[in-house]
Amino acid sequence: MKVKHLVLISLAALLAGLLSACTNGSVGSSWPGMTADEDAVYLSGGAYVYAIRLNDGTEMWHYPEKADNKRLFFAAPVLTPDGQLIVGSGGSNYTLYSLNPKNGSENWGFGEAKDRWVGSPLVGDDIIYAPNSDGELYALDFNGKRLWTFTAGGPLWAQPISDSQLIYVASLDHRLYAIDPQSPTDNEGRKEAAWAIELDGAIAGAPAASTDGLLYVGSVGASLTAIDMASHDIRWSAPTDKGVWSGPTLDGKTLFFGDLSGKFYSLNAEDGSRNWEPQQPDGSIVGSPSVMAGYVIFTTETGSVYALDRNGETAWTKMVGGKIYTAPLTAGDLILVAPMQAEFLLAALDKDGHQAWTFQPQK
Amino acid sequence: MWDQFIVTPLTNLLLWIYYVVGHDVHSFGLAIILFTILIRLVTYPLTVKQMKGAQAMQELQQNKHWLEMQKKYKGNKEKLAQEQMKLYKELGISPFSSCLPTLIQFPIIIGLYQSIIRALASTPLALLQLTRSIYPFLDASALIPLNSRFLWMDLGRPESIILFGFAFPTLAIIVAATTYMQSKLTMPASTQPGDQSAQMGKMMSIYMPLLLGYFALTFASGLSVYFITSNVVGILQYAALGKVNWSNLLPGPKKSK
Repeated sequence: MKVKHLVLISLAALLAGLLSACTNGSVGSSWPGMTADEDAVYLSGGAYVYAIRLNDGTEMWHYPEKADNKRLFFAAPVLTPDGQLIVGSGGSNYTLYSLNPKNGSENWGFGEAKDRWVGSPLVGDDIIYAPNSDGELYALDFNGKRLWTFTAGGPLWAQPISDSQLIYVASLDHRLYAIDPQSPTDNEGRKEAAWAIELDGAIAGAPAASTDGLLYVGSVGASLTAIDMASHDIRWSAPTDKGVWSGPTLDGKTLFFGDLSGKFYSLNAEDGSRNWEPQQPDGSIVGSPSVMAGYVIFTTETGSVYALDRNGETAWTKMVGGKIYTAPLTAGDLILVAPMQAEFLLAALDKDGHQAWTFQPQK
Repeated sequence: MWDQFIVTPLTNLLLWIYYVVGHDVHSFGLAIILFTILIRLVTYPLTVKQMKGAQAMQELQQNKHWLEMQKKYKGNKEKLAQEQMKLYKELGISPFSSCLPTLIQFPIIIGLYQSIIRALASTPLALLQLTRSIYPFLDASALIPLNSRFLWMDLGRPESIILFGFAFPTLAIIVAATTYMQSKLTMPASTQPGDQSAQMGKMMSIYMPLLLGYFALTFASGLSVYFITSNVVGILQYAALGKVNWSNLLPGPKKSK
């Protein structure tokens, strides 16, 4: 009988182990995010936020001191004008942290959200607009005190943007919301949307705004849409092969973006017409492109970095390795790339695609 | 292989049911319930086989040859096992036929759990994986993101209700209770002292509620919805076949079914 007990307990343990493995594999992980100032790049990668010197790729500090499975970081950190580094936890403690970018010490934590922090906050002159997966946009002062909230119909994963009058935030509920921060709040400190528009799919990436009064939004519904900020109507919509995960990059009158089929597009921002036929690199394009020194730079899921000139001709490519979902970041003369499942967490390339350094934390 | 043949088809089946039910607040919970009923109907022949196997094992305990060999080879376990196997063969009984259907549920549980977690996609990487898992006949852009709310629960997370400052694990208790009821109600009453299959059944009726209750406490509440539905449907299936032994829930002598 003892053997039967043992067999039953072993089977139970095996099943529990398998279920736990499923949870760790798919729920608590995602790709890294990063931001930079003149001296350092701040990388949110898994259990830690790292500050890495731009000149040589060495670590300045990491937060927290010890890994904690309740704290996971994948929303790109943001810097405030008064010298704070704001980063939300994608783990189960749902806390938005303010860190000192000089040494990584914690200033405060905002713990009122009910879900993960996936999207980066927008920092205004004196307000932090922080989108959360619980569908709330939290407006906080620089001490982490809640000022007001706005409730969307679904998770907010995209960084909000502002045209200095309204705040625009996209949601996975297929809608783009415009919120007036000057509008009154109700008794519970909530604001209503000034206006909202429904698109053809979930919106995971930040919109781009032009000075001509247009907003450009990519959606998982396989399109890029231009919305008139004054009339709140769709000005034009350009279909894509598959979903557009991250928002487009606007450079003058040109929009650059990629889709999940791996096509890279350049459109005329005024009417949505194609500047050149879409390029087809070697894998899905998840992150937004960056523009640097006349080149548009983007990454593919298969671990490559591409630089195209304005005519869509490939200037150079660089195989970094791993899987790249994070948008490349330009900092000074460097292009920073954060792969997953690679031998390092961060690679810095020069403007010609040569590797300057890589960063891998010490064990 | 596992992903391609188990998790992805189960995810799409769940999404298809979700799509058919509609995009209502409770539809993913309803999709899990309908999905579970479907799984129970598909595995119904196995349930019947399990029932017949359990009955055959119970009848075997009263077989003249069986009783004789228990006495004859009392001191020789190896020989007893050989003789028992011979008798199983002669009578066409498989000693595993009563527990095989339970074991078959294990991969379904793992596959279902992975499907629920994948469908609810709570991180960008998970949502990206989901968009790639959806078969072309389903409109991915209309389905994503799924509404994970069902009654008071978020199906992607473990459930508890705060009562007087304590997190009360309602679903874990219901899962443990229904699992206990199912194993008790479907257990044939034993007339023989030392009946091995009855002892095994008793062990299962203790371990399974504890195990599934622990899973309900720890893992996404969507899995608990599956457990509860599966238990209730299981009891109903046995009841429809006239095999539910209500006396097992009551103290006192047990009736044989």
